[in-house]
Amino acid sequence: MRQWRSIAKEAIDRASIIVKFLCLLHVTDAYVVSSNHVLGPSMLPTLNITGDVVLVEHLSHRIGKLGSGDLVLVRSPLDPNRTLTKRIVAMEGDRVTLSLDPTRSFSSRSLVVPKGHVWIQGDNLYVSRDSRHFGPLPYGLIEGKVFMRVWPPNSFGLLG
Amino acid sequence: MGEWSSRVIPIVRGLCLLYVTHKYLGTTVVTYGPSMLPTLGITGNVLLMERISTRTGKLRPGDVVFFRSPENPRRVVCKRLVGMEGDQVTYVVDPKNSDKCNTIVVQKGHVWVEGDNIYNTKDSRNFGAVPYGLVEGKAFWTLLPRKDFGSLAPKPK
Repeated sequence: MRQWRSIAKEAIDRASIIVKFLCLLHVTDAYVVSSNHVLGPSMLPTLNITGDVVLVEHLSHRIGKLGSGDLVLVRSPLDPNRTLTKRIVAMEGDRVTLSLDPTRSFSSRSLVVPKGHVWIQGDNLYVSRDSRHFGPLPYGLIEGKVFMRVWPPNSFGLLG
Repeated sequence: MGEWSSRVIPIVRGLCLLYVTHKYLGTTVVTYGPSMLPTLGITGNVLLMERISTRTGKLRPGDVVFFRSPENPRRVVCKRLVGMEGDQVTYVVDPKNSDKCNTIVVQKGHVWVEGDNIYNTKDSRNFGAVPYGLVEGKAFWTLLPRKDFGSLAPKPK
């Protein structure tokens, strides 16, 4: 009986070290810097179609230091379980001009980004589904700013 | 040094546990404002909010939910969930001036929220359907005021 108790105590001690480490990892992941795997053609040529591993920092959007031109990781407004990587093109109050169908005609329309929202677009306009389709994105859905790529190694370096 | 750390470490552990509970299980929230009369009072209520239903997708129309405002990302707003994605919602466009109604289908990935006090509320009729990613939690219990202690009332007819 005593043997089981000492084994259990040792197991709990070892497990608690792992749990503490995982907590630290989670807090860093959510609030400081995390690595994410992003893929898809909507951000060509900036990001590769087959997938990149990028570093995302989670500080700038909390202190309001995002601006147009930043690459951001956002939660999709159409599917809350998916995250998208796009570029901020306009902040609240800016005027956005978008062409209605770039493959067919030159016609365009313009609108002002409402308060509390941003306008995001993929770099590859022809295959990206972004604010041109689902409208301005509420700022609360932004999760972090992409600042560096670590994989593949031949394109290692700062982004944006 | 040893004595100092032996006092601080339990406090840090307690704060970590509190933080994890706050972020993943639930927390207490203080509400104020007239937009949810008569369910919630104007001077303020203390409610218990849980985050498990939002994470597992178990929200239903009729739930009182908290979400980050699409107009001001630093504010958390409390309203009643009226329609999930795909639902057809009929609402009175401007109840103070006319009886005109509008019917829309809630788009994918969004929810339609309305305040119980339709005469004095800014909700989905003003800023449109709210993306599900902005929903923070569901209110399930009232702590204060004492006369309202218990689960929340359903939507008034």
